[in-house]
Amino acid sequence: MSQVETVQPPAETETPLAWEPRIIAFLCYWCSYTGADNAGTSRLKYPANVDIIRVMCSGRVDPDLIMIAFAQGADGVMVCGCHIGDCHYIAGNHKTMTRMPLLSRVLQDFGIEPERFVHEWVSAAEGDKFARLVRQVTEQVRQVGPLDWPGRMYRRGVGHGEDLQPWGDQA
Amino acid sequence: MFDATDSAASGSTPGVQAPRVGVFVCHCGGNISDVVDVKRVAEEAARMPDVVFTTTHMFHCSDPGQALIEQKIREHALTRVVVAACSPTLHQITFRRAVERAGLNQYLFEHVNIREHVSWVIEDKEAATAKASRLVRAAVNRARLLVPLDKRRIPIHPAALVIGGGVAGLMAARDLGDRGMKVTLIENRPFLGGRMAQLWNVFPTNEEARPLLSDLVRDVVKHPLITILTGAHVVNSEGVVGDFKTKIKIDARGVDERLTYPGNAIAACPEETISEFDFALSRRKAIYMPYPGCFPPIPAIDWHTCTKCGKCVAAVGGKGINLDAKPRELTLHSGVIILATGYDPYEPLLGEYGYGIFPKVITLQQLHRMLDPEGPTAGALPFDSNTPVRIGFLHCVGARQIDGVNAPQPDGKVKDYCARTCCTAAMHAAVALRERFPKSHITSFYQDMRTYGRGHEEYYEQASQQGVLFVRYSPRHPPRVDKDRAGKWPIVVRTNDLLTDGLPIEVPLDLLVLATGVVPHDISELVTMYSCAVGYDSFLLEVHPKLRPVELAVSGVFLAGCCQGPMDITEACSAASAAASKAAAMISQGQVEMDPFIASVDEEVCTGCQTCLTVCPYDAIVRDEARGLAIVSEALCTGCGTCAAACPSSAIQQAGFNDRQVRAEIDVLLGPVVGRGPVQAPAEVVT
Amino acid sequence: MTTNGATSDRQPGKLRLGMYWASSCGGCDISLLEIGEHLLELIEVADIVLWPCVADFKYRTVADYPDGYIDVCLFNGGIRSSEQEQIARLVRRKSRTLVAYGACAMDGGIPALANLKSTREIFDAVYHSNPSLQNPGHVEPQTHWATPQGDLELPRLYPQVLRLADVVEVDYQIPGCPPVGTQVWKVLQAVVAGEVPARNAAVRVGCDNRSVCDECHREKRKVRIKEFKRPHLAIPEPNWCLLEQGFVCLGASTRSGCGALCPKAELTCRGCYGSAGLATDQGTAMLSAIGSVMDAVTEERANELVGQIADPTGTFYRFSLASSTLKAHR
Repeated sequence: MSQVETVQPPAETETPLAWEPRIIAFLCYWCSYTGADNAGTSRLKYPANVDIIRVMCSGRVDPDLIMIAFAQGADGVMVCGCHIGDCHYIAGNHKTMTRMPLLSRVLQDFGIEPERFVHEWVSAAEGDKFARLVRQVTEQVRQVGPLDWPGRMYRRGVGHGEDLQPWGDQA
Repeated sequence: MFDATDSAASGSTPGVQAPRVGVFVCHCGGNISDVVDVKRVAEEAARMPDVVFTTTHMFHCSDPGQALIEQKIREHALTRVVVAACSPTLHQITFRRAVERAGLNQYLFEHVNIREHVSWVIEDKEAATAKASRLVRAAVNRARLLVPLDKRRIPIHPAALVIGGGVAGLMAARDLGDRGMKVTLIENRPFLGGRMAQLWNVFPTNEEARPLLSDLVRDVVKHPLITILTGAHVVNSEGVVGDFKTKIKIDARGVDERLTYPGNAIAACPEETISEFDFALSRRKAIYMPYPGCFPPIPAIDWHTCTKCGKCVAAVGGKGINLDAKPRELTLHSGVIILATGYDPYEPLLGEYGYGIFPKVITLQQLHRMLDPEGPTAGALPFDSNTPVRIGFLHCVGARQIDGVNAPQPDGKVKDYCARTCCTAAMHAAVALRERFPKSHITSFYQDMRTYGRGHEEYYEQASQQGVLFVRYSPRHPPRVDKDRAGKWPIVVRTNDLLTDGLPIEVPLDLLVLATGVVPHDISELVTMYSCAVGYDSFLLEVHPKLRPVELAVSGVFLAGCCQGPMDITEACSAASAAASKAAAMISQGQVEMDPFIASVDEEVCTGCQTCLTVCPYDAIVRDEARGLAIVSEALCTGCGTCAAACPSSAIQQAGFNDRQVRAEIDVLLGPVVGRGPVQAPAEVVT
Repeated sequence: MTTNGATSDRQPGKLRLGMYWASSCGGCDISLLEIGEHLLELIEVADIVLWPCVADFKYRTVADYPDGYIDVCLFNGGIRSSEQEQIARLVRRKSRTLVAYGACAMDGGIPALANLKSTREIFDAVYHSNPSLQNPGHVEPQTHWATPQGDLELPRLYPQVLRLADVVEVDYQIPGCPPVGTQVWKVLQAVVAGEVPARNAAVRVGCDNRSVCDECHREKRKVRIKEFKRPHLAIPEPNWCLLEQGFVCLGASTRSGCGALCPKAELTCRGCYGSAGLATDQGTAMLSAIGSVMDAVTEERANELVGQIADPTGTFYRFSLASSTLKAHR
């Protein structure tokens, strides 16, 4: 039989009914975190799927942290910072602005759909933009389905062999 | 050889006690507990490793609530504290202080937002509780990895530099001097006074501007601790809070106090140019004084206009004027800096509402110059009190502009912000004109009437009672200003009056006064030198508009007045006093404390690639050439963490936000969830 | 190299040295020869007991060795087939010390880039759709083939390239594609003398603890990148950092030890010595660094610059995909 046929990983499991998108959002404290606060004080409503991790500046968000979030099971990742020109630390968001599109290309090469990775600028006054963003990203991640990277990699056999016997030990 | 293993596993290090975490979940009086089951959140947190105590409370920010935290810290020997409550922007400092009072380092505290980010935005109670629980447990995991941090302390040079000699700068300098601080006040024009000197009469007291200013100037000039330098420009700035070294260049004035008859010198001068003080309503000589009673009370020479013909020197017998005077440089040493660089009035574009085309279209600033008895027209307007003259005020010129409707500035942006003071200023001027010209007809074309301040609404009321007509126009359809075809009037203003359901009206006018907005005075070099954050509207950006309104993110640099945003003299003086107060407090402590979330380079790990040197927006990272390593300057680092993210060897970590702490949150947030497919341990990341 | 109290853990007499190649190009085997004349010194003190690239060693012979017979085995190449896993396990048992030698064994190497494709896609490209092929019978490799003379079994291909440490316990790693001769000789000397650090799968030997930038002679001017250039389409200025000029040089994210050979020869560093410092994912390390030094203050310009980088994934992860955070295509 073809070598290919013998080694295809088992088919992906169907989406379990109770699955909810799990999205991690990195928000910069000065603008976007406060913008999320603004959504709260305005009592806007949005789905519960986005968990916020606070950093001082979006420039702190290392692309590796985003990859780690996906690798550990996030279905989507958001990065929010101050609008260009408004960065509390002058140019931290410039670095975010140049890193994110580059990371986006690499994530797509790994097969992570562009809908899963969103970077946006949210100012302290843009509570409704934040709420809309959460709703939009939750919905679009729901459409593309669970990513379940750990499950996928395990089924693909990444990181471990097939636990074979050393050569010569077979009968 | 090189050992790359990561030795620290979880919160505990060998030989060191495991952390003892306490979790306090706030009801917030129902704001949280009406949606989130706070007891369950506390119970689930209790199952986390290293958690030794959990509780809930109705109002943790209250005195009893804080007391409870302190008591439990002592009772249970807690070494880490997690409080789940409202947003940290409100009470992070409150809880940090409570933790400190209980004898624990205030940075061993983690604040979780389960109100603005959970209970106020999620309707489904089950989902909200699950989310709150997740966030709290993630915070617990992070708290286990917190280490004590000390606020950084830097000694302060006991002197202040105030940049800008307008009312805000003068106020700040005086307040600082009155507190016993040494102050140097620099002004880049040859005369103090700024924009206030160009006003005739100010609201809400209807006092004349310049006498008020003169009182302030006198206090500053007489003050033994204040040094004033005019014609001074900042050339370079080095250093950090506590130790700023500012190099300034002082223009040659060309005139000194030995000149006894300035009038003769000025009269003798044959060169003239447009007077910027009078907003081009008059001309002045190359050697000039803008107004009587100005300070310094000696003329200055405008070298661009002066031809060094020497006629002024001849007219005064050679004493007190030196046409060969040279500029000089000097370096000022200060611990704090106050920026009071002020505003410029919006200059309408050529043709904007007829400005620059119709001579009867002037700005409100020009009107003030004309009403000033010491101004270019000696206080006369081109009509007498018997004429039933028609005057119009057009509000929101160069303010509240809409992209696509109003023409943009050369930088491509429109001025979309409200300029705040012009409605009141327009009403104040309207009332004054009505009183002086009882037969006049005055019309105000406005978008909204924003006479918001104390004593301001009275002008609107008075104007209304005096018969000023109000026409409300739509910002999307600004009024048109045309020549009157019939030739009876100089100009005609046409618009649709929203107050009468859009009725198109035509108002003929003898004079149209544009109530113009403001733009910050251009200080792009200073912005670069001090690494100031600037908003989209080009004004300087404060740390927090409510809680830290006069501070810049750059420690030790404060804002006073219109450099921060449009404001009137009252507000500018408040801001100046606030800035002076903050600056004085900093100086009198002898040292300054800064948030400790700074980056540091692990010298064992740094690989010498120099990436971080280019990345830092504050140039806070330097290279130790001898050892080939990067070093972060503690004083210059503001704690953005950009270098930590950029470092390709993970050699830079940001205190309080290091990789392990952030990953600890991710570890909890992405744990197994009901409904997910088979999840194995995440792929091993080899260190 | 320093001792830190570890025992040499080798048998008395001549050192029994082994070298095995799994999913490999053969370059690492050749690199052993780059120690040059030191080879003569090596032969004095060591016996080669396994080196299929050079001499005919049967698997049977190796299986018959007593366990731990081989003092040090240098294992190069990644694991991509059942045979390679089996031999890796065999060699582990027969060796006291097993060293992952070279980028493939350590991080997956260039073959690990195949992890971005499925085996089906690879087979289609190699055996079916490639324009220069003539394969009318749509032949492709099989695991089992019956012939009149008997049944033929071939090893199974795995869906991705694995590192040696993914299948067996590894004692040390030597980075490089291939490791440079001078470093190899240093390691061998230490091994012969019995001066080795404590055993630890993460310990890398034959390298330094800096970046290639540190070894490179070129000057950094602390400027941001204004334009990205392809190395074959532009001539670099000598003595100025290649990355700052816009060539995608991986020196900042690559461990030192090779002497910055490539930048010295006017080529960009390819990253073959693997990640530097504490970084575990060399690709995102480079992504972070490059992403932070671009000259852009508007989004249009940022997108324009990013668009100028050809194949970021393949370039940043050229040698280390199997060690990356995400590891493989979904």
